[in-house]
Amino acid sequence: MNYPTSMRRAILAATLSLASALASPSQAAENLTMWVRASGANAAQHLVDLWNATHPDKLGLTVIPDNQVVSKLAIGVQAADVPDVISFDLIYMPDFMRAGLLTDITDAMKGDPNFAKVAPAFTSLATYKDRLYGTGFTPDVSILIYNKDLFRKAGLDPDKAPTSLQQIHDDAKKIRALGPDIYGFYFSGSCPGCNIFTTSPMMVASGAKILPASGDEEPLAGAGVKDVLQLFRDMWTEGLIPKSAQPDNGANFVANFKTGKIGIQGAGGFLISDLKKDAPNLDFGVAFLPGVKDGQASAFVGGDVVAIPKGSKHADLALSFIKWELTDEAQLEGLAKNNILPSRTDLAANKYFQAEPRVVTTAKAIGIGYVPWVFHFNDMVNSDSSPWIEMIQTAVFDGKVDEAIATAKAKMKEIANE
Amino acid sequence: MIAMRRGAIGLLYAAPALAFVAFFVLYPMLDLIGMSLTNASLLGGSEFIGLKNYVKAAGDATFWHSLAFTTKYTLLITPILIGAGFLLALLAVEPSRIARLTRAVVFMPVVIGLGSSSLLWVWLFDEQVGLVNKLLLDLGLIGQPMVWFADATLGLWAVILSIVWKVVGYGMILLVSGIQSIGADIFEAAMLDGAGFWQRVARITLPLTVRTIALTTLVSAIGSMLAFDQFYIMTAGGPKSQTFTSVYWIYQNSFIYFKQGYGATLSILLMAIIFLASTAQLLLMRRGART
Repeated sequence: MNYPTSMRRAILAATLSLASALASPSQAAENLTMWVRASGANAAQHLVDLWNATHPDKLGLTVIPDNQVVSKLAIGVQAADVPDVISFDLIYMPDFMRAGLLTDITDAMKGDPNFAKVAPAFTSLATYKDRLYGTGFTPDVSILIYNKDLFRKAGLDPDKAPTSLQQIHDDAKKIRALGPDIYGFYFSGSCPGCNIFTTSPMMVASGAKILPASGDEEPLAGAGVKDVLQLFRDMWTEGLIPKSAQPDNGANFVANFKTGKIGIQGAGGFLISDLKKDAPNLDFGVAFLPGVKDGQASAFVGGDVVAIPKGSKHADLALSFIKWELTDEAQLEGLAKNNILPSRTDLAANKYFQAEPRVVTTAKAIGIGYVPWVFHFNDMVNSDSSPWIEMIQTAVFDGKVDEAIATAKAKMKEIANE
Repeated sequence: MIAMRRGAIGLLYAAPALAFVAFFVLYPMLDLIGMSLTNASLLGGSEFIGLKNYVKAAGDATFWHSLAFTTKYTLLITPILIGAGFLLALLAVEPSRIARLTRAVVFMPVVIGLGSSSLLWVWLFDEQVGLVNKLLLDLGLIGQPMVWFADATLGLWAVILSIVWKVVGYGMILLVSGIQSIGADIFEAAMLDGAGFWQRVARITLPLTVRTIALTTLVSAIGSMLAFDQFYIMTAGGPKSQTFTSVYWIYQNSFIYFKQGYGATLSILLMAIIFLASTAQLLLMRRGART
């Protein structure tokens, strides 16, 4: 039978299209799932939106309440029902890696040029027995924050943040003299997480090591621990810290600073945008958390990491997402543009932060920061009955500094040996 | 034969309820007992370790302290709830509009979630902005603001006040229904005999509502022994772990320390203690009713 030329061409084109579709079924776009904890959801959403706008494979974000992430992941792995990608509080990495809940991505990330620029704290935390299981996602970091208005009124240079523990004490004293409801310093006395975030870096800056990775390591080692606790104790007895600090379990971690009646305190990078929104008239500065001596500084690198749960159905695509989120595009257009810190240290002074030097300082703090690599972090630190918070409360509010440190050391060693 | 058939038919009627109890009560309880004999972790993995958890619990000073604290809390709050509930019931038992309004107003906090109520009271007790301190200062009862949750005893009384505000309406409603079930002719006869209000309360109302009071006391005591939300939100177990309740400590071990096996052990122990205490309470009340 003779067909017209045009019809023959149409049949040929249709046949070729059909053959092409059948030959490459993997060209179809996939839908990936991602879990993120509630407190990291805002930052994660920016990255996910950018990925979805620029990739055919779409990522669906599910927000999990912070205190349910651990149990949901553990149960999910056992039930073989896990998301393709997961982001969570980085302090859980050691426990998750040891429990075998995460996928090894060592070989895939080796040689990735962007991975090499990630803050060392993230890489060391995500490594277990020389294998890599995750990387930085949406970081936060602790800094020292101070009220420039109060500094001016107290005759202090508002552009000179305290650079040593002694200077914090001296500055706090001068600020306290401004009035009965003005205080020189603040910290949340019943908040274990707040204190590991802002108080421990002062100890680490002073040369101390806080938490043991195993029962063989000495916890709370170094004179820095006592130096910082003694400073806090002295400021407490001198009335430089408000009485409400003692029972504060974190509910007022930054609320008091926003009232403009606190001179100096430790806080997180998140506070910069918070203050600009809630207290736009408050003139404040940020600096690194100092140690005993001038020039010593540190920070606690917190926030979320990203990893692939064991049993992920789209592990290859999940890996693509992880590699992508370390690119310039994701780090700058997804994070920095939205006032979120990038996890790559080479991008700390990026174009979006130039208008806000305080954010540049915060981003640089990631490069000098630490995060403890430890199992049972909750037992040792985060829990309301942890030896960490009991040490702080006994030392600062009861004045038994040496006894507090000795008791905490013994309990931490016991936990590390479990 | 007929009796056996009747028994079988009765069992058939009860089968759905028995199945419900077996599935939702018996099976989880047996699973819990099984878990308590292992080192089950929230992160996965479980090995049989026999009674090691129970041995550990015997030496767990924080658990026994939390149990003592919970018992102290229960012994303090229960009489307050029952006493206040009874007095409010006497006030609001009349079938008048004002009495109905009183019942509604007192009962309203009962329907607020315990978490929301606790958050509300945290701020009411706040040292700087709380209304409680403001009221006490204005009345001249204190010279400077109190830091309520910096002291274990003050914190305990703050929690008790918040829970009494929230829960007293529940006991009041139960007792109102108990009082309303007493025949009006008994009160009329007593009034004709010249009995005053408090005499009627002592000689008629109290004796005839003793079963309702016993039930309310039991429910209140069990609820108090299982206290968690209010302490989690208001005191966070502080200062220095002094206000941990038993359930709070179980929560810590199970979900913060990931030790589900040990948490199961503590749950079994707490369940046994509450069961024994409730049984003793019921037996004492039954004996008291007979005499």
